[in-house]
Amino acid sequence: MIEFVSGISVVCFAASYLVALACEVSRLWFRSGLRGAAMVGFMAAGLLAHTLFLVWRGVNEPAVPLSSAFDWYLLAAWVLAGGSLWLTVSNPRTPVGLFMLPMVLGLIGGSQLSSRDPFPQSPATQIWGAIHGGFNLAASVAVAIGAISGLMWLIQAGRLARKQAPLQGFRMPSLEKLSHTCRRTLLTAAWTAAAGFVSGLVLNAVNRQRGLLDTVPWNDPVVLRMGGLVAWLVVAAVMSRAVRRRPDAARTRAVLSVVSLCVLMISILWGLFGATRHGVPPVDLPQPTARGALP
Amino acid sequence: MNLAFVGGTHRTVPLALRERLAFSTEQATEALRRFRERFPGREGVLLSTCNRVEFYTAGENDAVPPLPEQMVSFLAECRGIDAHVLRGVLSGESDGAAARHLFSVAAGLDSMVLGEPQIVAQVKQAWSLAQANQTAGPLTGEMFQAAFRTAKRVASETSIGRERLSIPSIAVADFARGVFERFDDKRVLLIGAGKMAAETLRYLREAGARDVVIVNRSAERAAALATQLGARTGRFESLAAELAAADLVVSTTGATTPIVTPELYSVVEADRGSRPLVVLDLAVPRDFDPRIGDRPGVWLYSIDDLASACAANRRSRQREIPAAMAIIEEETYRFMGDLHHRSTAPVIERLRAGWSETGETELDRLFRRLPALDESARAEIRQAFDRYAAKLLHSPLASLRKESRSGPPHGLLDALKRLFDLKD
Repeated sequence: MIEFVSGISVVCFAASYLVALACEVSRLWFRSGLRGAAMVGFMAAGLLAHTLFLVWRGVNEPAVPLSSAFDWYLLAAWVLAGGSLWLTVSNPRTPVGLFMLPMVLGLIGGSQLSSRDPFPQSPATQIWGAIHGGFNLAASVAVAIGAISGLMWLIQAGRLARKQAPLQGFRMPSLEKLSHTCRRTLLTAAWTAAAGFVSGLVLNAVNRQRGLLDTVPWNDPVVLRMGGLVAWLVVAAVMSRAVRRRPDAARTRAVLSVVSLCVLMISILWGLFGATRHGVPPVDLPQPTARGALP
Repeated sequence: MNLAFVGGTHRTVPLALRERLAFSTEQATEALRRFRERFPGREGVLLSTCNRVEFYTAGENDAVPPLPEQMVSFLAECRGIDAHVLRGVLSGESDGAAARHLFSVAAGLDSMVLGEPQIVAQVKQAWSLAQANQTAGPLTGEMFQAAFRTAKRVASETSIGRERLSIPSIAVADFARGVFERFDDKRVLLIGAGKMAAETLRYLREAGARDVVIVNRSAERAAALATQLGARTGRFESLAAELAAADLVVSTTGATTPIVTPELYSVVEADRGSRPLVVLDLAVPRDFDPRIGDRPGVWLYSIDDLASACAANRRSRQREIPAAMAIIEEETYRFMGDLHHRSTAPVIERLRAGWSETGETELDRLFRRLPALDESARAEIRQAFDRYAAKLLHSPLASLRKESRSGPPHGLLDALKRLFDLKD
């Protein structure tokens, strides 16, 4: 069993998700009673492999479990894949996977470009690190779900405006439900991103005060991009609230949700290729040896 | 000939005659009782709907099904219609064509509304009635089970019955449901008392709509319709206020000019906030100025918009016909193959029995000559004999099955009878 779990690689679950996505795309061309079962099967198999992979990494990592940028991407993908499976099972006629699985695969792809080294942490700042990472993860997932809802809203509204009957096997959720999701995710993304940013500042301050680890300067690209993202998400949440009584409130929220994802993606790409002191171990500090304990 | 049917549909029988020919459940029960008495040993299933009356018959071996003329006279007698009148409009088929027809009927391909799903339930009822009246039998049983299987395949493997075809059902299911998640917390406003309003409201009620207000220039007509539909009435003079409070409007007045103009809607819009408004304008001429559909949050559908979606769905169903026909052909081929193969069963049984008898005689002789054999050795030898017989039978049986696919294998059966001296 251990041998089997240790043999699971990113390719295993990424391939499962890819096949599930291919099944979902095939909805557009033909009908099949088996496709739904195959799609759920591949999605579930991918999620199981994904879960086992993360558990294996969590157990075998010498540092704090799942504390690298690589793990962060895979965790975000795992949350979205789980949501995608749940929504596919509960709404079999809605092509949820068509929108969520590309995002899952995108995050898995992002993980391959990011570092597998755990973020340096001292026992004193572990809790703040976990809060910082948790809020950022929640904000990213909220932005992704909001953007998917916003995109679905725009497609559904386009269909209704063109006065076309829905395509066979391609039934979108109602505008009412999608708009409701956009509104909630805009709000959730704003406060979780803000909390993530503030907890990052606290983490940095604690490190500086106690002289534990290197601090991240204010003008670091990660600080700037995260600050920009938080600022945008707060503005989007305020705009969503401000237009709530206008007839075009739902469309505005849908557009804001999609734009939020674009801002998040720019922010992530900037982080992937920019030089930063964020999450980089100090040169004069020894590497962690076991479970986040620094000698 | 083992299977046959005689009947007429909306395509061949005029409505007035169809009404006279149709059977109620009691009348169908009585007709099946008479059939049992008149044609003993035959199987019969009577399918009577508002669009068709068909009598399926079957008989095995010497009990061939009644001739079409006999069945036409029988139906005429049951319904008290002159047989000459029916002869001109009823037709029939036999064997493979009869099975293919039943499969098409069950799959909704022969219905007035292509792909309508209700017909399969009516075919099931007809089959149950025949079972209850002891006119169903093994042949009709196989044919009707194959028909249900075919209908299920057509429904699941094609989209022939999926898209809606009536304007009210499309309006609610494809458009209103696209905007609203639920209807139990929405206000529905019916303007006018047109016929289509009641039908649209029926679909809205099914979707969960509870709060329905009817406004009409004639308060009496509004009150009458409200009583009939379980709704409440509003004043036509307060149309702007009713529009501001409504989430979904169904408009079917006979007004010659739009009753809701952009100017009126501008007043309403301010009071609506961000709530979307779905308008199903089913009136001709239109009750809502089409420019209102350009306002944000307004989803306005005229009868032409809905009719276009309706026509698109109809075309979509038409496109599925070849796929559905392919399934019906496949199932007919399979069913007829099984049916023909079934006719070989008595000959195979006699052949098997003859070989078994010869084998037993030889085994007895062998065991008498070898008394020292214990029980396990005897069982082994017996099994070897059985396997040998089964292997010898395999090729002729496979040939018979293959031949059955293209019709009753009379030639092979005669050859087997003559070669192995099998007596009837």
